[in-house]
Parts: sequence; structure tokens; C-alpha cells
Amino acid sequence: MKSENHLSRLDESKLYEELSRSNLPATKQWYAGTGALLLVVLAAVATFVYMMFVGLGVTGLNRPVMWGVMIILFVFWVGLSHSGTLISAILRITRATWRAPVLRGAEAMTALALMVGGLYPLMHLGRNWRFYYILPYPNERQLWPNFRSPLLWDAVAITTYLTGSLLFLYFGMIPDLAIARDRAAGWRKKLYTFLAAGFRGTHEEWRRYHVASTLFAVIIIPVAVSVHSIVSWDFAMAMVPMWHSTIFAPYFVAGAIYSGIAGVIAVMVILRKAFRLEKVLTPDHFDNLGKLLLTFTLVWGYFYFSDYLTAWYSRFPEDWEVIRSYSGHYLPIFSLLVACNFLIPFPLLCLKRVRQSIPAMFAVSLIVNVGMFTERVQIVVPSLARRNDPSIWGTYFPTWVEISFIVGSIAMFALIYVIFSKLFPVVAISDVKEQLFHTTDRTIGGANLSTVVSGEGKEEGRKT
Amino acid sequence: MRTGEPRVVIGLFDGVEKAAEAAHALRSLPLPEENVTTISSVPLPDGAVTRDRRPIRFPWIVVVFWLAGALGGLALTLVTYQVYPMITAGKPINTVPPAIIVSFEGGMFAALLATLVLGFRSIGLRPFRRGKKMIFDPRIHEGKIALCARVDPGDQERLAIEAMRAAGGDAVRAEEGEL
Repeated sequence: MKSENHLSRLDESKLYEELSRSNLPATKQWYAGTGALLLVVLAAVATFVYMMFVGLGVTGLNRPVMWGVMIILFVFWVGLSHSGTLISAILRITRATWRAPVLRGAEAMTALALMVGGLYPLMHLGRNWRFYYILPYPNERQLWPNFRSPLLWDAVAITTYLTGSLLFLYFGMIPDLAIARDRAAGWRKKLYTFLAAGFRGTHEEWRRYHVASTLFAVIIIPVAVSVHSIVSWDFAMAMVPMWHSTIFAPYFVAGAIYSGIAGVIAVMVILRKAFRLEKVLTPDHFDNLGKLLLTFTLVWGYFYFSDYLTAWYSRFPEDWEVIRSYSGHYLPIFSLLVACNFLIPFPLLCLKRVRQSIPAMFAVSLIVNVGMFTERVQIVVPSLARRNDPSIWGTYFPTWVEISFIVGSIAMFALIYVIFSKLFPVVAISDVKEQLFHTTDRTIGGANLSTVVSGEGKEEGRKT
Repeated sequence: MRTGEPRVVIGLFDGVEKAAEAAHALRSLPLPEENVTTISSVPLPDGAVTRDRRPIRFPWIVVVFWLAGALGGLALTLVTYQVYPMITAGKPINTVPPAIIVSFEGGMFAALLATLVLGFRSIGLRPFRRGKKMIFDPRIHEGKIALCARVDPGDQERLAIEAMRAAGGDAVRAEEGEL
């Protein structure tokens, strides 16, 4: 490469220090913040233990609304987890030039949100201590899991996705762990040496590493889509009004990607602020993520409308009663979700000024996730509260126990993200370096541009 | 003159061009292409300094694991229903849709694990090469490119060191270890 690449202009040691600021020794503020999060999580765990002893009666669950906050949180967190790995995998496969600073934070968000989300079906079981009944193993009770139950599909799909997301996250980190290994000391050096598995960066290692990471990305994309399809089938396989719909799988996947992109934006804003990553995470990155979010605002809007269309045309009374409740008892929820998921973000995201403003994008991402949480509430509660027989119609409101689970889930996600970012680089350092290495300046007419080269070198004498 | 075990000559270069020049000189000694490689903190395009001609076949083995996982999923759902029959409307039934779902996830699960293990094996990461001293120089993290050549001790080693020095290599030396 004859022209000077952007990496050669920088001092790589300083670049590493800048990108690995999250791994600096913990400060008093860090301990205070982490301690506060831990206290909130412990309070939620204590509430859960209380619920285990006393029973599900301490929640707002009742006949006919037997699914409540725990299932809402499950769908919400699994949905939020959807986009991190998906975006990262798509950006890796397409070699999008702006991907590098976004990858690690997004991949970590997926794995950690999935850990949080996966807890809630287990908490919802009632007799939580018998969770192992879902595992298929020969036993003297002659019990065998009923694979016809979508909850079993959930267990299989989430196990696969969580394993895949963790492996994808880990594999993507190996070159960065190798850099950290060569710079760290003490227990960190031991940890990074173990995890880097002897990666050195030979030409052959890099080539095989790229093939393996592309293969991971190719495999993880269909798994990500399948997971949220299967979560939707928890609902769609039931003969419950407004759930029993063939469109539920793509509708859920679109919603999950939508909330996931918003989640990635929120996480990126926080990481940028907390670890002073302004030079790496530029307004252009948020502009690109904003365009993705805008696309999925429209995709989600289309599926939300389509979900009503068939019910509207068929006019089955049980479906119609649920839809009527959206303009009655559940009007605040319906209004909030339409406002937060479409009416507010759509016009805002059309403006480049908003997409390039970090505070505005943070606000939009939070609004979208409030909207998506509300959408999960609307999916779960009204359909059960207005089930087929009017004599059993009811209502649902979460108790303090369930509200503590909501707060606890947010605190738990934040806590494990904070610990993760203290232990591991939250920016994909090697990818950033690779991007800078492939970027050179070029003049076209009167314009000075940065160009990024990609692809493999060709044999001499062959056409390129 | 050939004596003893092969050794590795390693030199550090400031830029790709100098490293490429040195690699060309090494190949002209002549050294086989597969005996020359780089260690760098960023992946260099194939052919920029050295070229890796070894085929990468492990993705095909991942496909085999995917198939095995998918068959395992089918077995878990369909075959075990014969062992633990679920009587529905008076007779045991096998339902196909759940079997397809579990089979799909089983296949993907196996493929993901296989990618990790086979990827590790293909790259040659530590679990597959215990006890060997691997050639390395941490100064690659300061922007240097380490050019390494596996040579026979004696004339070849001396010529390789001279070629690297002539191309502007720093800290050129011969070490015992694996590439």
C-alpha cells in the first residue's frame, strides 16, 4: 500500500490506551455505582426468594391473566438482545466500513440481555426448583419433556442463541485479548493469557480467524431470527384472541430488531460518554444507526398494522373485543406505544440533525424502548384479560413484587455490563486498527476523501 | 551446510513496503513460501508481504457437525417419543413441527460449537499445540511488522539475517521455536 494509511499516523500504544480506558483500575465512583446496582439486584433477588416461599399469589397474576410482568420482561429482554449480535454479524459479513467501534458493545449487549431475559421464564414457573423437568434425560419417574410445548422450544432456542452469542463475543475478542495480554500485569495478564489462547497474529492465524469469524456470523444470523420467531410462537400457538396469527413471527422479529437497534444506540451513547470515546464513536456512527432505526420504525409500523388487518377483516368477535379494549380500558397503553414506537421517532429520525445529535439519539432510543416495553404489555395483557368467554374477563396490574423485578432486571443488566466493561475491552480494538489500516486519503477533483480498501490481494499477473 | 533443527529468523519492520521487500529477498534465497510469514497487530492482505496457500477446509467439517446436530435434534424428539410415548387421544403420536424446530436448533448448536473448536484447531491456538515455544515479539503492538522465516541453521540462517537487515529490519535475530 503506497499511500499512507490512517493507522500509520497514530501512536498505537496511545490508541490502545484510548480504546481500553474502561479497563483502567476501578475508582471509588466505580465501586459506589456498582455497589448501588448490586444492592438493587439483591433487593430483587430477595423479592424473588419471598415469592418462592409465599407463592405466585403475591404477584398480580390471576385468572384469566396468568402471564404478566415476568413474561413481558422475558420477551422485552430477548427482543433487546436480538439486534446486538445480528447487527454485528451483518456488519462483519458485509464488511461495513463503520462497523468497528459498534461491534463489541453490541455483541456484549446481546449476550448480557439474554442472560437477564432467560431468567424470567424460570422465575415464572412457580415451582422454580423443578426447572430441571424441562431437561430431556432418562429418569425413574418416566417423565419426558413435551416437545410439543413452545416453552420447550424456547429452552432449546435460547440455549443455542446464548451459547452462540457468547462464543461470537469471545471469538471476536481474541485478538484484543492478545493485545491486552501483552500489556497487562498480575491477575489480568493470567486471565487474558488464558483467554487469548496463544493468538499471536501470524498471517495464517489472521486468515483462518477471519474465515471462522465470518462462519460464526453466518450461523448466528438464522439462530437470532429463529429465537424471536420461537418466542412469538409462545403466543401464536395458543388459541387466544390476537395471538393466534401467522404473522406473529416476522412481527416479533421486526419488533426485536427495532428495540435492539435502539438498545445498541443507548449503550453506545453511554459507553462514549463514560469512556471518552468521542474520537472513535462519531456522530456519523449515530447517523448510520439512526438510519437503521428509521428503517425499522417503518418495518415495525407495517407489521403492527398488518397484525390488525386480518383481525379487522375477519371480525371474529373474540378478536374484535380485544381490539375494542385498546380504545377503552387499555387506551393509555395503546396511545403510549403508538406514540413512542412510531409517532415520535419517525419524524425525528427523518432529520439528519437529530440523527447526528448524540443527546437526541439517546432520547429517541429510550423513547423507542419504552414503546417496545409497552408493546409487550399490550401483547400479553389485553388478550388474556379479554379472552373468549366474557364471564371470565378480568384485569391485571403488577404488584410491588413484579415492579421490583422490572427495576431489578434493568439494574442486573447494567451491573453485568459494568463488570464486563471493567474486565474486557468494550471497543473492538483490532477491528478499529484494521479499519484505520485500510483507510487512506484520496483526492478526487477538489474534494479530499477518506477511502477504505477491502478484499484479498490477488496474484501478480492476474486481473484485479 | 545443514546442521541441527530448523530455527526461525525474526526481524521487525516499520512498514508493509519494507517487510514486503525483505520477504521478496527471503524467497529469492530461495526459501519456500510457506516458511515465511508475518506477525502483525492488524491482518495484512494476502500477498501484501507473504501469501498463505494452505487451503482452509474446516467450514466443510462444520457442515458435517451441523448435520449431526440436526439428526441429534430429530432423534431427541422423534425417537425418544417411541421410548416415552405420549398418549394423545388414545395413541402415541409423533409431531413433526416440534421435531423440525429442535432439529434446526440442534444443528445450529452443533455448528457453533464446531466452528469454535475447529476454528481454534485450524488457527493453531494453544489447546492444540501445548508445550511448544512459539515465536513472537510484543513490539507488533507498537506498529511494527515482524517478518519470520523458518531456516536451516548455518548458511541459510546467515543469509536470511543479512537479507532482513539489508531491507531495513530492526532487532533481527535467530530463535528456536515454532512459527
